[in-house]
Amino acid sequence: MACLSLDFSMVFNAFKLQLKQEIPLTSITGIFGHSGSGKSSMLRAIAGLENNITGSIALDDKCLVDSQAKVFVKSEQRHVGLVFQDSRLFPHLNVLENLTFAVKRCQHNQLNFKEIIELTEINALLHKKIHELSGGQKQRVALARAILAEPKLLLLDEPLSALDIPAKTALLKMLLTIQRKLNIPVLYVSHSLEELQQVCDNLLVLAQGKTIGYGNIHQMIHKLSQSHTADFIQHQTSMSLPIKSLNNGQGLAVLSLNDEDNIYLPALNEQPIQAEERMLRCFILANDISVSLTEPLNSSIVNHLPASITTINTTGNKVLISAICGQQKFLISISIFSQQKLALKIDQDVYLQFKASAVRTYLY
Amino acid sequence: MISPDLLALLTTLKMAALTTVILLLIGTPIAWYLANMQSRVKVIIEAIVALPLVLPPTVLGFYLLIAFSPQYLPGQLWQQATGQQLAFSFSAIVIGSVLYSMPFVVQPLQKAFEQLGKPILEAGAMLGAGPIDRFFNIVFPITRASFITAASLGFAHTVGEFGVILMIGGNIPGETRVLSIALFDHVEAFDYAKAHVLAISLLVGSMILLSAVYLLNRSPQTITKRKN
Repeated sequence: MACLSLDFSMVFNAFKLQLKQEIPLTSITGIFGHSGSGKSSMLRAIAGLENNITGSIALDDKCLVDSQAKVFVKSEQRHVGLVFQDSRLFPHLNVLENLTFAVKRCQHNQLNFKEIIELTEINALLHKKIHELSGGQKQRVALARAILAEPKLLLLDEPLSALDIPAKTALLKMLLTIQRKLNIPVLYVSHSLEELQQVCDNLLVLAQGKTIGYGNIHQMIHKLSQSHTADFIQHQTSMSLPIKSLNNGQGLAVLSLNDEDNIYLPALNEQPIQAEERMLRCFILANDISVSLTEPLNSSIVNHLPASITTINTTGNKVLISAICGQQKFLISISIFSQQKLALKIDQDVYLQFKASAVRTYLY
Repeated sequence: MISPDLLALLTTLKMAALTTVILLLIGTPIAWYLANMQSRVKVIIEAIVALPLVLPPTVLGFYLLIAFSPQYLPGQLWQQATGQQLAFSFSAIVIGSVLYSMPFVVQPLQKAFEQLGKPILEAGAMLGAGPIDRFFNIVFPITRASFITAASLGFAHTVGEFGVILMIGGNIPGETRVLSIALFDHVEAFDYAKAHVLAISLLVGSMILLSAVYLLNRSPQTITKRKN
């Protein structure tokens, strides 16, 4: 399997990025971190846009940088594509000419031009000038242009950050469809965990220029949620669940948690992003779940799941509890008051309850 | 027999055209280098390039006259290479003009390259375009208006040159006798009628050229607005 091997450091004024990480190039890998964590610098280093690098970068056994052997492959020879936050379309060319700029310089020309145009839905824009495009249209053109260069690895640097929610949703769906169809490995940098949770299978987390974790997206989110560096992300439970029904006729969508238990959320009007697999990626904030000692049958709260407490951590005025229901682990945040009132302890059986609207998915 | 003033015009146009071509060829890399330079030396190079803007042309002319004379190395090398004396030749006034008009070509180009910035070139590199490809297919088309400005200003300024040429060119018909020198000759000989013809031609010619430059430099939006 293709793999990106990073083992390098680079220094800016007062900031040092130091990475040692093997990233298997399957589907979409998210790179998450707060501003100044070094995630964009990491992409620029892989793209060849930063040259003050000590160490090595290799893509699929091809060495891109090796400072000891004085190897530095130029950006234009790396076969790596990059979609920038600000599109960077060429203003003196129209949309079609921007695309053919990439096609002309591509060495393989195996992709079907028409197919890419259709996948990115820019058919109607081909003869428009760049300044006539909206932000979302620009990013779609930039995505199509990057793909038409037929890169071995596609890098996305906060590609949605300048867009409104509908444009973001459309582009995320498009990205996922394109990735599945063309099988291009993608590294997706974002500071929005919601965005990454929708499309990434694996997540690399950076903080202060260092890797603090790499692994399956849901597991990484749980790990970050439980880590003691609180406030790094909001504590939450992240899941991919099979869809039983998008609308059960009573205003709710139904997901299957396990053989016995369902999770209910507000009915979905649109096909979700991961629609092809009939799966929905969703998350529930730890603050939105409460604990009950008896099953709350007489309540308008639709979700109540039997669970068993596995850990209890007190930080400040908050208690973070993890509880397991079937195979799924949930994170719950309650006050010390509630914890003492219910006398919660490890291995205790409880009911977790949360409203349908607490089950969040990127789209709705 | 061609009239002396017409000959002066032809000499002037030949000198200005050649100077402009040479300036575009050497001014573009200098402007590019300055636009991307971060070292402190940049200020010094910028000052050297801008020097002809403030220096009396006779000062530049005086030093060039010395350098071009057969007693000094540049003049000697030229004589060895071509077999001809450099001072008081057509080549001398072209070299003088290149130095004298340099800021008018380098400055607009440098400003355009600085405004263009690196991001758009990075986008080009990520699509597989090498440096030369990027220059001709991204930089040049986007900054074309600045190239036209640079060429026009360089040309117009060279046509209007007097002091440098007076010092290093002498007044050889068909070789170094350009319009501004011919005008000066007529005034000295109290032939104001002929002086008027040359003066008004230079005035009108420069006016037309500059108007054309400003017309081309108007933003595309203002032009479309007017059309609408």
